[in-house]
Amino acid sequence: MSSPAQQLPPGWAAEWNPEHQRYLFIETATGHTQWEHPIAQQQPPEPSTSPPVTTAAQSHHKRRQYAAGQTQAYYGAAEAAPDPGYVAPGLQPQPAGGQLFTPGLAAENQFQSQQTQAPGQPHPYFTQPLEQPTYLEPYDQQQQQRSNYVQPGVDALAGQFGQMGMGGQKQFQLYTTNLLTSPPDPHELFKPPPEIRLPPNACISPSPYANAEPSYQRCTINAIPTTSSLLNKAKIPLALVLTPYRSLKDGDDAVPVVTDTVIARCRRCRTYINPYVQFIDGGNRWRCCMCNMSNEVPQLFDWDQATNQPGDRWQRAELNHSIVEFVAPTEYMVRPPQPAVYVFLIDVSHSAVQSGMVATATRTILENLGRIPDEDGRTKVALICYDTSLYFFSISAESSMLVVSDIEDVFLPKPTDLLVNLAECRAPLESLLGRINDMFRENSIIGSAMGPALQAGYKLMSAIGGKLVVLSSSLPSVGAGALKNREDPKILGTAKESGLLQAASPFYKTFAIDCSRAQVSVDMFLFSQVYQDVASLSHLPHYTSGQTYYYPAFNAARPEDALKFAREFGDVLAMPIMLEAVMRVRASRGLRMSSFHGNFFVRSTDLLAMPAVPQDQSYAIEIQIEETITTPFVVFQTAVLHTTCYGERRIRVVTLALPTTTNLSEVFASADQIAIATLLANKAVERSLTHKLEDARDFVHQKLVDILVAYKSSMTSGGAGASAQLAISDNLKMLPVLVLGLLKNVGLRQSGQIPPDIRAYAQAMLTSLPSQLLIPYIYPVFYSLHDMPPEAGTVGESGVIMPPPLPLSSERLQRYGLFLIEDGQTIFLWVGRDAVPQLIMDVFDLPSYDVLRGGKITLPVLENPFSQRVNAVIQKTREMRRGVYYPHLYVVKEDGEPALRLWALSALIHDRADMLPSYQMFLTSLKEKVNST
Amino acid sequence: MGSAGWLFLFGVLMAAGLLFCMVFFIIMFSDLECDYINPIDLCNKLNQFVLPENIAHASLTLLFLVFGQFTAFLLNLPLVLYNADKIRKKSHMYDATEIFRTLNGHKKETFLKLGFYLLSFFYYLYRMIAALIAESE
Ligand SMILES: [Zn+2]
Repeated sequence: MSSPAQQLPPGWAAEWNPEHQRYLFIETATGHTQWEHPIAQQQPPEPSTSPPVTTAAQSHHKRRQYAAGQTQAYYGAAEAAPDPGYVAPGLQPQPAGGQLFTPGLAAENQFQSQQTQAPGQPHPYFTQPLEQPTYLEPYDQQQQQRSNYVQPGVDALAGQFGQMGMGGQKQFQLYTTNLLTSPPDPHELFKPPPEIRLPPNACISPSPYANAEPSYQRCTINAIPTTSSLLNKAKIPLALVLTPYRSLKDGDDAVPVVTDTVIARCRRCRTYINPYVQFIDGGNRWRCCMCNMSNEVPQLFDWDQATNQPGDRWQRAELNHSIVEFVAPTEYMVRPPQPAVYVFLIDVSHSAVQSGMVATATRTILENLGRIPDEDGRTKVALICYDTSLYFFSISAESSMLVVSDIEDVFLPKPTDLLVNLAECRAPLESLLGRINDMFRENSIIGSAMGPALQAGYKLMSAIGGKLVVLSSSLPSVGAGALKNREDPKILGTAKESGLLQAASPFYKTFAIDCSRAQVSVDMFLFSQVYQDVASLSHLPHYTSGQTYYYPAFNAARPEDALKFAREFGDVLAMPIMLEAVMRVRASRGLRMSSFHGNFFVRSTDLLAMPAVPQDQSYAIEIQIEETITTPFVVFQTAVLHTTCYGERRIRVVTLALPTTTNLSEVFASADQIAIATLLANKAVERSLTHKLEDARDFVHQKLVDILVAYKSSMTSGGAGASAQLAISDNLKMLPVLVLGLLKNVGLRQSGQIPPDIRAYAQAMLTSLPSQLLIPYIYPVFYSLHDMPPEAGTVGESGVIMPPPLPLSSERLQRYGLFLIEDGQTIFLWVGRDAVPQLIMDVFDLPSYDVLRGGKITLPVLENPFSQRVNAVIQKTREMRRGVYYPHLYVVKEDGEPALRLWALSALIHDRADMLPSYQMFLTSLKEKVNST
Repeated sequence: MGSAGWLFLFGVLMAAGLLFCMVFFIIMFSDLECDYINPIDLCNKLNQFVLPENIAHASLTLLFLVFGQFTAFLLNLPLVLYNADKIRKKSHMYDATEIFRTLNGHKKETFLKLGFYLLSFFYYLYRMIAALIAESE
């Protein structure tokens, strides 16, 4: 069937009307409908030219296109089905419900699968058990429900699917949801972003990997508005959210490498060749997809250097993969590739030794020496301990300790042997690491010369660059960068609080700049029992692409604390890193990167300096539309020039192509709520530092109101007047609850109880976590374990099957139940007070609820299936996401310690807590705001 | 030439100096936008001039007060207070880590100061000539 929809001008959609056996054409911007094909009809269409018989249908379609909130509440499931138009063009679509929640259909790992999906495969979002949340109605019922609203004669559903069935259809269908009648469904968060519907022939490769996976790079809008005024109408912020150095989990494909150093780049805009260029002139030249420049194809482009024979250019990785790595020739080096360098600064003051931090840290380094990346045998390591003096270690056959007490003007006591080759000095290093804790066991010195230690470490490595790993248990008190205890409970929760989140001493900014220049990246591991000024200290990682890790009140006597730190620290040490990296994002003409969020130093208008890039760090970049875009699609290309930790200069290129649109409804229908929430988290934290915490919250709230107002006034029939509903497009329906979660996150929450260190750490997380970790961090996951479906916790064909996630409301808690709440950083096992002894026995190996104690716990694995299933769920929770985090497990008793209980319950963000509104109250206030503007 | 004449001659010269200082700032900011200079060097360079500029302006204002030129003093007072407030908040120096985010604000401020010094320049010039004429009569 040659469908007329394929030749539609932009802004038009076609719907198959089965009753009349012909297409109905809809101008999506105005809602105008007609039977004539818009191209065939030259003069401006008038409704009166339509056959009178269509008036009923017309008005109906108008509603379908716009508001009709009441029916749309149920569309969630139908939308989630793989779009039949793309699965198999021309085939009859399958009923949606059947594919969505099929038990056992889940892929290797539900969380990854959404990211590793090749287009055209069904999406196993979440292993759906037998029990479904009641508001997810079975398919048949939906249809029934719907037909109540649908006027006879016009089968909207059939029309909709008929349209979807046509291959090449580019239009997005916009579904409106009334937020007031459709409660948030946690399953929605596991869905992939709205599909990227590129025009045909945009891509020269048939490869399913030709466009970037969302886990590498995603955009807040998957159909870019052609003008900034259109973007302003939608009020949706335009930004990229990217994790160019994403880790590879089992089942992920490795990034293909182009080894022949033939790198084709545009002469004008320096874009790397990618699947979206066009070959012209018989394949001798290529046209740049960003600036339209015609470039010569390099001579060796079609030459296979491995076999020394003519090769097939269509096999080249850079033409088939959106994510590739080029091995860089010498032009891309300012110096020969540096070796990886790890300098450890270990706090050995009294509190550090007493908490067991020194023992755990040295043992972890010792155990992980073999995991530190050192494929080329060039990796160098140094150790410096510090309290109020510095202790250097000359590492050789007879290691010795050199004490430097002059911390005002730091010098290196010895020119050699302080920074040693890991492979060559493995044995002396191991013996030294085994002895450090004993050396300082009786240390009674209190105080920390962290600043001078940093300067010493910097001196040691500044010629090479690398990683400076700081382990500190106390507030820096002497020398450069000394800080004062500025924690003041009186100003918590007031306007002055944001001052506590800024750097107290300029040292932490100037030193960060020095580090960035010398290619030194700082990682902070912080352990203090008392105030440590995480806010100031986290500035160093922030500007040097490092990461802050915080273990409040660390005590290695608790095996859980020691295990968590050792695991995370070990993984950080073993992590492959990118050294001496610079990142630049290029985009098609008319688009400009306007502001940057994340851990790096902005070295020029669009160049981000990152001395050592860890895996799974996320960045957000806002985009401005500077001039009208005339192309049917645009391309964003991120290039990270870096040195691998085994001494090879490489360029990692991530290419994302997105269609453009002139149509406001497409902008809404293609918005990606996960990316928007990630961007808002970054912007809110930035605002809380430059303004006040309250301003940051207001800003996020106002952004959401703006989007809702824009949607109401342009996409619903309600227009500017008051409306009984709160409408938003279906793909954005989780945005309000994500914003609420963000407003209730420890990093931003309105409260006078949050210690500044905890707050500062949460803010560091909000600005560096990739979406996969950030979303649970602001919208936790909640399972009911006591009545989980029989297959949950068992190993399915795709790993451990998880129970269905529940909405985050304490209404779901039951007095006799066992529940799990987790945000990726902490896991709570909530035990109801009437839990039957058998349950306690099966899970905790204890006779009854009364003897169960709340707090951190290592759950025993017992000889009964339920215990094993619960353990499997917890295990999976700890492993299913990217990143090094190993969440603590807390047992929370319903009538247990109030602080712990409140902490766990604060994760249930649909509830009301103190001054913070419940989800219903939040929606009501949103509705009032929206109606009053 | 009487004291008022000399004072305003001095004012004219100072305003011209401050004017050039602002022009230099603006040139440096546009260099930064064109990537001719990196933010670290830019901030190191500009920060050398921030305090001298503030001090020069404040001392000129003080001179007006000492010599009883209250109109000129009151004209300059808001800017002195503004600068003093920035120094008190320790936000007077340019921060290389934030410079790109705050660049638009810096540019706006520098342009406003430029305009202010330009107006002051002509005002002092006028007052100087007026003082000279008054003297010769
Ligand atoms: Zn180009």
